[in-house]
Amino acid sequence: MSMIQALGQELSARSDDSLRELFAARPDLMAPAAHDFSTLAARASARVSVQRALERLSRPEMQVLETLHLCTNTDTGHSASVAGLRKLISGSTLVALEPLLANLQALALIHRAEPPHGTVAGRQKFYLPVASLKDVLGIYPAGLGRSYTELVRLQPSFAQHAVDLVSELRSAGQDLHAATTPMEAALALQQWTASPAALQRILADAPDRTPALLAKFGHWAMGAVPKAQRKTSLAQSSPAGPVDWLLARGLLVPLDASHVELPHSVGLALRGGAIITDFSLHPPRPQLGTTSAMLRRNAALGSVAETLRLIGELLGSIQRHPLTTLRSGGVGVRELKRLADSLRLDTAKTAVLAEIAALAGLLRLDVDSSSWIQPPDLEWLALPRQEQWLWLVTAWLTSERVPSLVGQPVAGHVTADVSRATGGQVNVLSAEAQRPDAPLVRRRILEVLLELSTEADPGDGTAPVVDAAAVMERAEWSQPRMSRRFSSLIRGVLAEAELLGLVGSGALSQLGSAVATDRHQDALALLGNHLPAEVEHVLLQADLTAIAPGYLAPRIAATLLLMSDAEGQGPATTFRFSATTIRRALDSGLDATAILGFLQENSATAVPQPLEYLIADTASRHGQVKVGPAASFIQSSDEGALERILAAAPAAGIHVVQLAPTVLVSTTAPREVARALRDMGVSPAVDDAQPALLRVRRSIAAPGSVRPVYSPPGAPPPDGEITAQIALLRGEAATVHGGPGQPSLDSASEAAPHLGLESLAQAIRLGRAVIMNVVDSAGNESSERVVPLSAGGGRVRVHDPARDTERVISVHRIIDVQATEEHDL
Amino acid sequence: MSDGPLIVQSDKTVLLEVDHELATEARHAIAAFAELERAPEHVHSYRLTPLGLWNARAAGLDAEQVLDTLLKYSRFPVPHALLIDIADTMSRYGRLRLEQDPQHGLVLRTTDYPVLEEVSRAKKIAPLLGPRIDGETVVVHSSQRGQLKQLLLKIGWPAEDLAGYVDGTPHPIMLNETGWKLRPYQQLAADNFRAGGSGVVVLPCGAGKTLVGAAAMAASSTTTLILVTNTVSARQWKDELLKRTSLTAEEIGEYSGSVKEVRPVTIATYQVITTRRGGIYPHLELVDGNDWGLIIYDEVHLLPAPIFRMTADLQARRRLGLTATLVREDGREGEVFSLIGPKRYDAPWKDIEAQGYIAPADCVEVRVELPGDERMAYAMADDADKYRLCATSDSKTTVVEQLVAQHRGEQLLVIGQYIDQLDEIGERLQAPVIKGNTSVKVRQQLFAAFRAGEVQTLVVSKVANFSIDLPEASVAIQVSGSFGSRQEEAQRLGRLLRPKKDGRAARFYSLVARDTLDQEFAARRQRFLAEQGYAYRILDAGDLPAEHVEG
Repeated sequence: MSMIQALGQELSARSDDSLRELFAARPDLMAPAAHDFSTLAARASARVSVQRALERLSRPEMQVLETLHLCTNTDTGHSASVAGLRKLISGSTLVALEPLLANLQALALIHRAEPPHGTVAGRQKFYLPVASLKDVLGIYPAGLGRSYTELVRLQPSFAQHAVDLVSELRSAGQDLHAATTPMEAALALQQWTASPAALQRILADAPDRTPALLAKFGHWAMGAVPKAQRKTSLAQSSPAGPVDWLLARGLLVPLDASHVELPHSVGLALRGGAIITDFSLHPPRPQLGTTSAMLRRNAALGSVAETLRLIGELLGSIQRHPLTTLRSGGVGVRELKRLADSLRLDTAKTAVLAEIAALAGLLRLDVDSSSWIQPPDLEWLALPRQEQWLWLVTAWLTSERVPSLVGQPVAGHVTADVSRATGGQVNVLSAEAQRPDAPLVRRRILEVLLELSTEADPGDGTAPVVDAAAVMERAEWSQPRMSRRFSSLIRGVLAEAELLGLVGSGALSQLGSAVATDRHQDALALLGNHLPAEVEHVLLQADLTAIAPGYLAPRIAATLLLMSDAEGQGPATTFRFSATTIRRALDSGLDATAILGFLQENSATAVPQPLEYLIADTASRHGQVKVGPAASFIQSSDEGALERILAAAPAAGIHVVQLAPTVLVSTTAPREVARALRDMGVSPAVDDAQPALLRVRRSIAAPGSVRPVYSPPGAPPPDGEITAQIALLRGEAATVHGGPGQPSLDSASEAAPHLGLESLAQAIRLGRAVIMNVVDSAGNESSERVVPLSAGGGRVRVHDPARDTERVISVHRIIDVQATEEHDL
Repeated sequence: MSDGPLIVQSDKTVLLEVDHELATEARHAIAAFAELERAPEHVHSYRLTPLGLWNARAAGLDAEQVLDTLLKYSRFPVPHALLIDIADTMSRYGRLRLEQDPQHGLVLRTTDYPVLEEVSRAKKIAPLLGPRIDGETVVVHSSQRGQLKQLLLKIGWPAEDLAGYVDGTPHPIMLNETGWKLRPYQQLAADNFRAGGSGVVVLPCGAGKTLVGAAAMAASSTTTLILVTNTVSARQWKDELLKRTSLTAEEIGEYSGSVKEVRPVTIATYQVITTRRGGIYPHLELVDGNDWGLIIYDEVHLLPAPIFRMTADLQARRRLGLTATLVREDGREGEVFSLIGPKRYDAPWKDIEAQGYIAPADCVEVRVELPGDERMAYAMADDADKYRLCATSDSKTTVVEQLVAQHRGEQLLVIGQYIDQLDEIGERLQAPVIKGNTSVKVRQQLFAAFRAGEVQTLVVSKVANFSIDLPEASVAIQVSGSFGSRQEEAQRLGRLLRPKKDGRAARFYSLVARDTLDQEFAARRQRFLAEQGYAYRILDAGDLPAEHVEG
């Protein structure tokens, strides 16, 4: 029976609760809703789905699965029992293995199977993994290499060499079977190295450093050595190095010029006959340092306040000067430097802040000017600080952007041109800093942090310091298949978490644990209690500075920034007044009285005389040169004539203002004015050699930003959907869809192609012939008996035994595939 | 972090709110490791520098105490990165130690082998080191002690100097406290210095730095070399020592251009020490050739470069630097600290004023409008001449006359940079002028006459910037200065800060030509004083008489 059919039957026999569990753990199985169990089984066996399911498995679960894979054969139906697994996993017990197997079965990654031929089942349970597991696990499951027979089949250079190798070993007195074909040689080698004791005997006279070298292959069967295909022989006069020694005996097999592989049987013998040697149900407990709760809170609150302040400053700076983008996307280094200078920060920190502001929707790309601007009416600016914080945190958790990727080399980017050394870096706010799995990784990292902190909580008021290495170690244990994705993001995520106050002084803060457990409102309340209140006054000093001793109320800060420049970096801000800044305030429409009034009102101290003098002095000289709009001018040395024009202008329908005795200006265009003047009887000369350039910028009206909403990534689908899916499978929704609830194999079912491909793949592996129904280009159906050789890229290469030729058939022309029972070739 | 007086900024500054009830306590707590940078009226700012932190380590403070202090007095959470940085910086101190080895003499020892490897490979340091004794010890040429310390400081691995000082030739010196007493801050400064061995004491002008020197001499009771800026100052030191200590005239020698006496206490001028003849410094022998137990550097902010070099060779002798204004326009404050020693005592001017030991001062910037023709001349002048043109405007002379008339009856100084201008003012005011070519004898006569009240108005050039003690002067009018020099402005104000008999406030006028370079330079000059809390009122020259009827 097909594996998929077997799985389909098992699934249909499950209870609703068990299905519910399956859908919660593997939501991709019900997207879109599956109509019958064979479809479901086909989906559950599909490579991508299995890959996703494996990402959720912990190390012991993976170890059991890998061992099961290695000791079973899905093509022949050779299954394995728990007792068999226990022998191969050293340190395991039946009690430990059974729940793991049950869980794997619940996830539809393995299913119950008939015992192998010639075995009495008794009360034992036998299992087989899903067929596609082979492709998903890769060529080195559990880090063990391929067998000699496989290597002979796949490595032509080794195959050529294998027979000679065996005879050389025999003549050197080793106990091997004689071989005349490569396959026989492979079997002889396999037998020679089959048991730990045999291998020990072989290795007895190996060079000194051999065990150390072999230990390096303990976790992965492939290794890099220089000149892997070197000439080696048993009869070497000079003492051989360990690599030469092993290569000469076929204990390492060269793959290409620089890689070698440790064959399966050698690897297994080295592990003492067990596939898994480091089995443990309990994760390793890292040694963590501690920090005091006071320091942790200090650091967390400090960085929350600092980040909010800096984001506010960044928004202010961008509002004044939008960030222009490069043609290739993202913001250029020079533009970033300008922003960093205006914030008095380094570019790396500025980049992270800009990314956070953008992912929170506080910056928006304006398509017309292709620059990043602050959206109008930004709600964020008016929120209390704790809510501003929550906005940032929520956005960060859900965003696919990864600020820490900025400045890193672009993935897969190879710069051949050396002169463009910086060409391959990810720019700020560019598309390259995007990772679809970022929300999931952040979520997991927070969970791991929480897990480790809770486990290690010394309970004496100190907090455990969790570093990236400890998080990585735990992530590798709890989700080994995900850990590679973790490792590239973890440092960035931890740094950003520190910036947002989720981590303080290296330990998960109270805010962080509230966020990790989705208690956002608690975090909000906590922060609200601990953030210092905003100050409503500044201290004015005679050295022309104003000091805000704390977080200054935004309305005061905004006006104060008009008339002074901010200095310094930290909770308090120093504002420095100078003639330039006062002039700026005057330019913005304030007058001396208003400036003084504002300062008096918002200062806790009297306005010092020098400041008062500065304001009065600057104001008295402000506006000596005026600028205003005009479309045309009328100039004449005859003052009387201009007087007359001024008097007659309203009647002529033009608006004229006198600037000086000899100059009038008008808002009407020069030609209009000239015509009106001619009508008055004046004969003007029109001087339009240098037409005035008047550019009026369109005001930018764009939608404001929306407060981000958090939904945890990787969460199970809602209960309702699962219930509907189960109802559909059980045929309870038959009235709606009209489909039967039994596993069926009609060609309309989604499972059919999977089944076809499954038999094809099985036939390829076993070298069996199949009956294939194929449509030719004219639309004629024909049934052929062929031996498939390989499949990939939408094509199948087949051997036609009737004509003894090879052909390539497109997969879409194949209607169905039936396996033949007889063996061929 | 409830309601302390400190705000710790992430840019490594610390703000202290002066009006807070814990302000004094917090000030004392952080003074040990943070450097006072600005002291305006409400919020003082301190800076955390590696040097300051290492000095704190040298004084026995560890990182934990520093962090505790910051966390204890801080109003807001302290930036975590800063805390880490402080701990890191402080942990660098003391990994290298300069020690006296009974067998090998001066050695550099480490507890951290790689650090010694790193420094001994540094290009500039390698030549100063002798043979390696073992992995953790290397011999140092004893003459290179100062330079080595300085270079180690520069590359960030300060050495803890445990090699001690030479005792010098003993010579009994006692303070003669009849009719006066050492003020508390002077005592504290002298004690701090004594405890630290070497270092700099910063006290405002007129606060009695000479007495700190005298107290230090009494405490060490050894032969002493005092280095001063000029001969007049040397004589003042001598008078003061005669009056305040048990020393007699025979025990004090003067070593200057005119007299070359070497006595148990010798007062020498920087100028004579640095006189160079035929490529060598003939008078350096005075310093090297005698077994001084203490060397005092007066006005340490003026140390000329050769003295820096010379001081590097004197690391085994106790050194005391005295100054009011440790700002150097050449930015070499750091070298002063590394060669003479860390700051041992520093008090904001306003603090000493509040205790009544220096006179309060009223600083007024008078803005003078340039007349039309001078404005044209100024606008068209070369850049090099611009400052001179605006600083010596005729309209300033008129204002000086006006001010002098207002303050008739008070002891008044007119101070300026340009001799022509001073001569003209002197002529117009019928007042004597003291400038560079005035002989020491005439200078002393004129100063004496001024002190006695016989001469009420003196016109002086920059020769009177420093170390001239004129207790009775209560009004100064600055007509021009050397560009933007902050310490000159402070020193000139300092001439007025001796407490007045009637407790009157001193008045310092600075005449500035409006809308010119003069105004820019004035703003720069005033920065030091403004940071010390002196607020300049700004007046237009036109408003003068009405404002000052009361005089």
